[in-house]
Amino acid sequence: MQRSEIERIKSDFDQEIEKASTSGELEQVRIKFLSRNGIVTKLFDELKSVPGEDKPVFGKLLNNLRTEVTESFNNKKLIIESNQLPDSSSIDLTLPGKGIKIGSRHILTQTLFEIKSIFKGLGFSVYDGPELESDYYNFEALNFPPDHPARDMQDTFFVSDKFLLRTHTTPVQIRIMEKEQPPIRAIMPGRVYRNEAISSRSYCMFHQVDGIYVDTDVSFAELKGTLVSFAEQFYGEGFKYRFRPSFFPFTEPSAEMDITCYICKGKGCRVCKHSGWLEILGCGMVDPNVFKYVNYDAEKYTGYAFGMGIERIAMLKYGIDDIRIFFENDLRFLKQF
Amino acid sequence: MKISLNWIKDYVILDGISTEEIVDKLTMSGLEVEDFIDQNKKYSGIIVGLVKDVQKHPNADKLTVCSVYDGKNDLNVVCGAPNVEKGQNVIFAPIGSIIPKGNMEMKKVKIRGVESNGMICAEDELELSDDHSGIMVLADDLSAGTLISEALKLNDVLLEIAITPNRPDALSHIGVARDLAAIFNRDLRISKLDFQESQQDIKQLASVEIEDKLNCPRYSAKVVTGITIKESPEWLQNKLTKIGLRPINNVVDVTNFILHELGQPLHAFDLDQLSGKRIIVKSLSEDLKFTTLDSKERILPKGTMMICDGKREVAIAGVMGGENSEVTASTKNILIESAYFNPTSIRRTSKKLQLSSDSSYRFERGTDPSNTVFAAQRAAQLIASIAGGEIAKGVIDEYPVKIKQKEMTFRLARMKKLLGYEVPKADVIKIFQKLGINLLKDMGESLEVIVPTHRPDIEREADLIEEVARIAGYEKIPAIEKVSITLHKRKDDFDLEDKIRESAVALGFNEMVNNPLIQESDSRVTGNPIQIANPQSQDMAYLRTSLLVSVLPIISNNIKKGEKDIAVFEIGNVFEKLKDDLNSFSDFEEKKKLLFIITGKKQSRQWYSAELDYDIFDLKGLINSFFSKISLDNVLNDSYNSIQNKIYDYQFTVNFKDLMFGVGGRVSKNVLKMFDINQPVFSFECDLKILGDLSGKKRTFKELLKYPKVYRDFAFLFDKSINYTTVKEFILRGGTDILKSVELFDLFESKEIAEDKKSMAFNLEYYDYNRTLTDEEVDKDFQSLITKVTEKFNAILRGK
Ligand SMILES: [Zn+2]
Repeated sequence: MQRSEIERIKSDFDQEIEKASTSGELEQVRIKFLSRNGIVTKLFDELKSVPGEDKPVFGKLLNNLRTEVTESFNNKKLIIESNQLPDSSSIDLTLPGKGIKIGSRHILTQTLFEIKSIFKGLGFSVYDGPELESDYYNFEALNFPPDHPARDMQDTFFVSDKFLLRTHTTPVQIRIMEKEQPPIRAIMPGRVYRNEAISSRSYCMFHQVDGIYVDTDVSFAELKGTLVSFAEQFYGEGFKYRFRPSFFPFTEPSAEMDITCYICKGKGCRVCKHSGWLEILGCGMVDPNVFKYVNYDAEKYTGYAFGMGIERIAMLKYGIDDIRIFFENDLRFLKQF
Repeated sequence: MKISLNWIKDYVILDGISTEEIVDKLTMSGLEVEDFIDQNKKYSGIIVGLVKDVQKHPNADKLTVCSVYDGKNDLNVVCGAPNVEKGQNVIFAPIGSIIPKGNMEMKKVKIRGVESNGMICAEDELELSDDHSGIMVLADDLSAGTLISEALKLNDVLLEIAITPNRPDALSHIGVARDLAAIFNRDLRISKLDFQESQQDIKQLASVEIEDKLNCPRYSAKVVTGITIKESPEWLQNKLTKIGLRPINNVVDVTNFILHELGQPLHAFDLDQLSGKRIIVKSLSEDLKFTTLDSKERILPKGTMMICDGKREVAIAGVMGGENSEVTASTKNILIESAYFNPTSIRRTSKKLQLSSDSSYRFERGTDPSNTVFAAQRAAQLIASIAGGEIAKGVIDEYPVKIKQKEMTFRLARMKKLLGYEVPKADVIKIFQKLGINLLKDMGESLEVIVPTHRPDIEREADLIEEVARIAGYEKIPAIEKVSITLHKRKDDFDLEDKIRESAVALGFNEMVNNPLIQESDSRVTGNPIQIANPQSQDMAYLRTSLLVSVLPIISNNIKKGEKDIAVFEIGNVFEKLKDDLNSFSDFEEKKKLLFIITGKKQSRQWYSAELDYDIFDLKGLINSFFSKISLDNVLNDSYNSIQNKIYDYQFTVNFKDLMFGVGGRVSKNVLKMFDINQPVFSFECDLKILGDLSGKKRTFKELLKYPKVYRDFAFLFDKSINYTTVKEFILRGGTDILKSVELFDLFESKEIAEDKKSMAFNLEYYDYNRTLTDEEVDKDFQSLITKVTEKFNAILRGK
């Protein structure tokens, strides 16, 4: 046995293990060097014929060799195995996944939720109220006198002389103010009903969000600031807006808020009737007559109120051109959102 | 309301202001211009053409080939009109012009092989009328090449303005002109009266008497005698046609003109048809059949305010005249009525009769009581000038109840408080002056003003503030970016609904929003429904008494469209009648409910699974998961059929203690048949108010288990009649404290076991929060349960 022979075996092994790149080739290397009849194993057999005084030296050399080779083999084995793909013949990974049913919120309640979240962020509480209302809450206390043409603005479904399906969520304002003292800062979402011919643009039932803020120093300027902030959060920034005078019996002064048509970016299109503007809500300063009905001091308190239709907003936002589709509840529609 | 800008310019000079600016400023001051047509633009390029020659089209019998002279060249034009003739002046749309109807650009085309260089137009193509019977033939004296807008005086700008109900003063050209004068700081010019009166005193020719003084505070009249009824002159016809009115005769046209000029409705009576030459204003003491001048016979209810002569009724006051006294071709003498009626009275009549006219529309919103005499005089002047005749001397003016101008105070500080912006006092005064609001006294910090009677909407300081704000421009008011809010108790009445939606969606349900208006038969299935007094159709004449009955038609529609596998929910209100007459909130009930519905397949056929239909246990499982999601455990009650109804074949309820607040089950076949549904439907509906009260409890954290759980299984043969819950409850009660739950994991029925037996296998879960259990103590409990179950149910232990 020669020292040089051991060194040669080591360098042979190093070369071969370096070359081996599959588990098959690696196995060949193992058989050649490390199996029972492998080169390294055989060297230990030869140790018997080494003269006595040399035995410890060669024994140590052989042990070192075996340790190094085994370690090197194991390292290579790990590398090869980690690079290897699992045996893909037994599993077809292209099979489709197993489905799990996911539900969906109606797009209208999603839109309502979004609007609600924005106003909650602006410090508003959220109130509910009945859909079957009295004439008093729906009209009279909101300064629609009996036999006044303003009532024509809201075609009404009646169930008796005194009761009707609310035509707006504004009556909830009266209900809140009857129970609580200022400051009142609230929005009131809900379903409302109008006795209008059903078409792609109007339906006998739809959703509104009304809002009111009453305190000692509430101004139109604050109304503008608040609604502009709402619009920026809901529609994103980068639009122009305008407030133009309008009429609602329960506010004075009254206004309608328009924003740049986001379909044509203000150039004029079919949706905005070529005006470049889209009306998004009605608003104004709470009429002193309304305060009279709820026994608030109209000298001391001022307030603003606003209201918007949800269907219209959702139609514009999602490109829906027929309001009836919201209430047909076709599963194919519901599942889109 | 249609407004002609040319007409407006009779009252206010708008030189140097573009149409776009006028439109924008009107809208921004509260008179919303919904649409406008600039006729010069609309008819640009369309000209007068002279037909020089007409030849038959070589390839088409009904077509002709015309040679049209456009003022410069002769052009070949194919025409299909039957009335085209050589020598006619026609409306010619050359290549490149745009035909108003359909907004179509003219192009050079070949029609049946012959080149055509434009089109000879009919009235409908210019949107002058609907007439398409033939081309429009123009006057001979027009010269070819003249613009049609010039030749036909189609050079106006027509505005469509939406007038809000509070602005009756703006329902006329002068009214709109007044706002424009204020907006652009120009002068309003109202035509001066200028007429001659005859020697004959009006009081000898007619008399007026008001019985119903409350509803007719003022009645003024003028008389014109010896007139000739004929067509109106062109200028008048033109004015009316522009705003969409059809000229009738000179007298009627003048009354219409005054209505649209001043906003004062007038009525002209044939004086010779008025018995006793008298006018009496009074209310009907009984119902009356009456023929209005639209030749319709109407039944007028008792109490309707009428204009009568000495013998009979001649007009429904403020709404429409009668046929018996209308102006006809042979009318010689007329009485012009110019009155102020109580808005409420006119509105009631108009509503009751479902009869609205231009007059009633203005009266019910409030006309100007101070303007009646002027309007009558101006009408008399115009009629005399275009129909001949003489204006009788003087005016009849019955004004028993004087309507005063309102005086009020305007505080600058209040304006600042309300608007958050201060318009300078000088500007305020100028705005008031332009709007006819007169300054009585300048008190320094406030202004005393008097409001003209044409503005019935201005009643309080807030109304004055709005006037200032809208004329100054809302855009001047800043949108402040910092607001201070009072921190007070926040609440959201819809918290629970949002939570429910979140849970329902996680469980795979799609949300529906259905119309609560449904048909009677459907609504009766689940309650005593409330009827709509004035429904649009019988399909939507009742309110739903449950969510189920409004959702089933939708389920049915979906199934028909092929969407058969459905898991949906809805949150909404249902309505129930408690008394026949609804006079108070206690006579009916409105409740918020939650509905879940499943039908069809839970699992479609898949490579990894066979198809599975929804069944009652899916519903139970979903409802259980749902309730545990919203922190309500153990509310499901298995007392099937403990309540009777016709809606479900079988059902379960949810209870909290003794309070039942929801029912679910398989919808009965009879109900499904009503909605044309042929597959089983499982539905659950519960009261949201009660649910809200119950789920208010906060969930607290439970310590996680530190010691291992131990499981044991057993299976028994039971008589078929023994139900699962009974056995489960028995086992749970029979075990010691360490037995924590019992779960059914196998259910098996087969003839091989026995005809009347079933096998139920249970998994028992043991643990203790404070220690590790020993096998011995678990086995001891387990063995004792085997004995107990065997004895109690006469059951046979299987296997082992
Ligand atoms: Zn647009």
